[in-house]
Amino acid sequence: MSKQAITLTVNGVARQALVEPNQTLTSLLRDELGLTGTKHGCGVGDCGCCTVILDGETVNSCLVLAMQAQGREVMTIEGLAKGAELHPLQQAFVDAGAIQCGFCTPGMILSAKALLDHTPQPTREEITKGLSGNLCRCTGYEKIVEAVQDAADKMSEA
Amino acid sequence: MSGNFEVIGSRAPRKDAPNKSTGKARYIEDIKFPGELAGALLQSPQAHAKIKRIDISKAQALPGVVAVITAQDVPDVKYGVSPARYDETLFAVDRVRYVGDEIAAVAAEDLATALKAVELIEVEYEPLPVLLSVEEATAEGAPWLHDQFPDNVCAQVEQEFGDVEAAFAQCDLIQEGSFFSKRQDGAFIEPNQCVALMDSDGVLNLHSSTQVPHYVQRTLAMVTGLSMSQVRVVKPYVGGGFGPKASATPIDLAAGFLAMKTGRPVRMAYTREQVFLFSRARHGFTHHMKIGVKKDGTLMALDHRATLDGGAYSSFGIATVYYAGSLLGGPYKLPNMRYHGLRVFTNKPACGAQRGHGGVIARALFEQQMDVIAEKLGMDPIELRLKNMMETGDVTCNDLAMSSLGMRECIEAVKNGSGWDQKKGKLPKGKGIGMACGFFVSGAGYPIYRSETYHCTIMIKADEDGGGIVVYTASAEIGQGSETTMAMIAAEAVGIPYEQVRVKSGDTDFGIDLGAYSSRTTLMTGHATKEAGENLKAMVLETLAQELEIDQSRLDIKNGLVKISGDPVDFSAIRIGYIKEHRGWQDQPSGDELTFREAVRLAYLRRGTLVATGKYKPPVLGGKYKGAAVGTSPAYGCSAQVAEVSVDFETGQIKVERITDAHDCGQAVNLTSVEAQMQGSVSMGLGEALFEEVKFDSQGRILNPSLGEYHIPTVMDMPETKCIVVESGEPNGPFGAKEVGEGAIMPTIPAILNAVRNATGLVLDETPLTPERVYLALKKQKGA
Amino acid sequence: MLLPSFDYYRPQSLPEALSLLGEMGEAARPLAGGTDLLVNLKLKKLAPKVLLDLGGLEELKGNRQDDGMISLGALATASGLASGGPEVPGLLAMGAGSLGSPQVRNRATLGGNLVTARPAADICLPLLALGAKAVLAGPGGERVVALDGYFKGPGYTVKEPGEILTRVLVDAPRPGVGGGYQKLGLRQAMEIALVNVAAHLELEDDGKTVALARVALGAVAPFPMLSPGAASALIGKAAEEINFSEAAEAAAADARPIDDHRGSAAYRRDMVRTLTLRALRQALSQAQGNQEAQA
Repeated sequence: MSKQAITLTVNGVARQALVEPNQTLTSLLRDELGLTGTKHGCGVGDCGCCTVILDGETVNSCLVLAMQAQGREVMTIEGLAKGAELHPLQQAFVDAGAIQCGFCTPGMILSAKALLDHTPQPTREEITKGLSGNLCRCTGYEKIVEAVQDAADKMSEA
Repeated sequence: MSGNFEVIGSRAPRKDAPNKSTGKARYIEDIKFPGELAGALLQSPQAHAKIKRIDISKAQALPGVVAVITAQDVPDVKYGVSPARYDETLFAVDRVRYVGDEIAAVAAEDLATALKAVELIEVEYEPLPVLLSVEEATAEGAPWLHDQFPDNVCAQVEQEFGDVEAAFAQCDLIQEGSFFSKRQDGAFIEPNQCVALMDSDGVLNLHSSTQVPHYVQRTLAMVTGLSMSQVRVVKPYVGGGFGPKASATPIDLAAGFLAMKTGRPVRMAYTREQVFLFSRARHGFTHHMKIGVKKDGTLMALDHRATLDGGAYSSFGIATVYYAGSLLGGPYKLPNMRYHGLRVFTNKPACGAQRGHGGVIARALFEQQMDVIAEKLGMDPIELRLKNMMETGDVTCNDLAMSSLGMRECIEAVKNGSGWDQKKGKLPKGKGIGMACGFFVSGAGYPIYRSETYHCTIMIKADEDGGGIVVYTASAEIGQGSETTMAMIAAEAVGIPYEQVRVKSGDTDFGIDLGAYSSRTTLMTGHATKEAGENLKAMVLETLAQELEIDQSRLDIKNGLVKISGDPVDFSAIRIGYIKEHRGWQDQPSGDELTFREAVRLAYLRRGTLVATGKYKPPVLGGKYKGAAVGTSPAYGCSAQVAEVSVDFETGQIKVERITDAHDCGQAVNLTSVEAQMQGSVSMGLGEALFEEVKFDSQGRILNPSLGEYHIPTVMDMPETKCIVVESGEPNGPFGAKEVGEGAIMPTIPAILNAVRNATGLVLDETPLTPERVYLALKKQKGA
Repeated sequence: MLLPSFDYYRPQSLPEALSLLGEMGEAARPLAGGTDLLVNLKLKKLAPKVLLDLGGLEELKGNRQDDGMISLGALATASGLASGGPEVPGLLAMGAGSLGSPQVRNRATLGGNLVTARPAADICLPLLALGAKAVLAGPGGERVVALDGYFKGPGYTVKEPGEILTRVLVDAPRPGVGGGYQKLGLRQAMEIALVNVAAHLELEDDGKTVALARVALGAVAPFPMLSPGAASALIGKAAEEINFSEAAEAAAADARPIDDHRGSAAYRRDMVRTLTLRALRQALSQAQGNQEAQA
């Protein structure tokens, strides 16, 4: 089967791409659209590095076919900042020291965003459950949880 | 005690954090090279076999394949980590020794084609007996994996300090214990990946996710036959290393050869499964210890035997087997120590260095036994440790010098911070509290290859316009924050704000740096950076002094301003000159102090571009016995932790409820980064204590080569981790700083073991402490 | 990791999907959430020539309640089920909520979990305990199959290759009915159960006697299994610890665990006992709780 044309919205912008049937959403984002913030960690949904927000819900993009994103809305890490201004979650991660090697960070921040979109004032337990699909080997998660709590407070003040 | 600094000790935001938060930070997989080819490896499906025949013709013929290489196509050069144990060839010559051993590599127009070509390579194997344990490998008649290593002994260590038998004769109690741990994995989130290409100068460039650009450069040069000037290694952002990325990988080397052969960039990446197949991670250890004490708790002697299941090659293991013994010389006064270490080859992926290198499991058993001893003597476990604690200035029986040791402060901090006195002995059934100590080198005292080389060199160039400086360092930012640390040290040394420092790192063109391993970067690269910064400052002040016709000793730079002691000096000519040069600028210098930028601009105008260098190597350290080098360091970071656990007696599940952690890092350079490393260490220790284990089937194939079945902690598994930073002020460290990256993992496993023992009475002698293992131990205890 | 090559179709209706499936036979596989299927393709365990994306089939979407029965669409995601609601039995919500990770739950489907039929499947087990039925649509029409008897082996069910699982039928939640779900793993998240148990209790109006009970056991047989011994130890008896213990013993006896690299048979058997007891206590608490709430 030859490449298929698909259209979708990525970070608020309508995009078109020609994709192979066996191409993943991760590859569509990284290789066709140049959005390299979404990472490859395992390819089988075990680590969460490839997390994006698809129609408002987090998914492991390594297990979504590009074809399945036809007509849908995707948010990647590149969609959070407004120009040079970081999203409160990004700023909170920076301020809290929640970023070390940074490889899990895009997926982690998007999971946090989806969590706060659904639950603006989460308990610690809700935060850990919301981030439970994103592995981190560097931080021990403590400063990540603090960052999300911080961001939740700042975002609800705004 | 914390010093009085402008930048050091603050929570300066990391330089790389914003880009990592937006997805702009580029790791090797994000950097595309025009015309790049995709490379793939053929790896052995057999754990031990002779290679009778390799036929690459079908692979070569596949459309889209550009090159196929085997051992025939590369120089017959052995390599490894330590020159004393160069036992690897890039591709198998006549034998494969583990499932995953590399046989060939393909470069093709795309990855799917490369992988298809790999499948078309025909190999005829003649299976050999597979040895999957130390017992099998050392059994009578077992085949030798390497001709040069009889009986599959990779290394044997025999050391004695003092007189252990004589000391035992004086002991009132000799406590014996054993421990058995499993092979683990680094489980860094970014799998290894690299791109090799020939640049327009004819230099082989390798861009790689590595901890050690310098060692990779040397290995690549040695194996290809190129000179060091013909090889350059560049490290982009790296998604974690933890030890297994501290040497050249087969994909680094294979990509290099393929790039040379094809004339095009070649990219090679490990899948997650291949990361497990490569390993170079934590060995499985078996430890037996006999610890002798007097009835008042005085530690007298240690007799220690360790056996390491090393996998098929030496890798870092030659050092690991030494570290397993040497790192028990402290932090307690131990006048007599005997160590027998044995590392054995088996038909499994090679093990290497992983956070805490060799010392982690040994420390776990020792600290567990200390608790058992305390109980037998009727002493509080903290009391026993404090009684025997070394002091600053003490030297261990194996010649490791504690130039600073904030161990007492760490113990006090966790005792108070955890509420130890309120909890110990007072917790309800099923809950327990335990503590442990540990320490680690702050950089290995010697490089991996015998040499008088500096361990690191630094160049700092001042912007000619005076607005800032650039620190050029070949050191490896792998997530631990070293770029930021060097920026802070440079800022402090030069006397300018942190915001005016830029750091360029990880490129072997920038100089020498042994890399991010053995927790060396803060102390060693930090020293060189401090020196370079001070040299830069001196250059500027020298010129300024001449210009102002005053004594240089009156001048200093602080916070970007020139401080002049004594009578006021008229510097208006300098300012006027600067302002004239910058006609049109909106932010002309003003105020009654000369600014750094004006001073640097002047210095440039007088002497040309300002480049200052710095360098560091430790003094000659350690004793004169065999293996003395391993364990030496200019300084030692130390740590104490208290763990609180709940045990579900019906299932054997352990929940770690809280960790209180105190670490002596000498002087925190970046306070947030120190805490972050402490927390990360704890999470790794917790995973290794409770969940992590690489499992093999009877054919030597890994059963769980995935992050779904090799379980590292998720956020839901981590307790709240309270961090207390202790600062003892290390005289051998830049601004008093020493390590945190590995010392901080040492107490975690034993603190958990001791807490579990407190909750259950069990002396568990095997990790990971899976629910089934604990459940069976509880059942046995009940039956007993 | 690369996916092998395949053709991709997205049928617009169930008849179209069935027709394509019939045409292509075993070369085609239906695709829903993809969290199992795509992993198996990457691991080279499966190599279908065609994937049929069921995501556009309205017939498989939406949950409806009708006359005390609930019909759940096969495309209901685990996270959708986990968020509960009047149309989702509590026991099912519990199981769905423990599956994988948030990201996986947002894709994994009810139908997918039943078709993949792993022995420890977090959605299969509660449904088995709930006495659910699967609606299988085929070229010849529709058939309704009780889950008790639906599972044949790991990944192997009574569903024919040419059939599509479209809906799942369960009794609507009502007072006096409760469920308990216990899952044992190493970590607190992203685990395939070492052992899991789903218990379903229906109490008599007196709130003390068990009218109906089903205990489903996971990871201790080639497929999710019901414990007949546990059921008979409970039905008609008092909903009390002593009978729960007996049921737990019976469940442990009915279990058929094996040794594997995750754990030993003996340990699994002991854990069946412990988890069954805990699941029953959970179920009783829920059943009495909503019975009181109703009163």
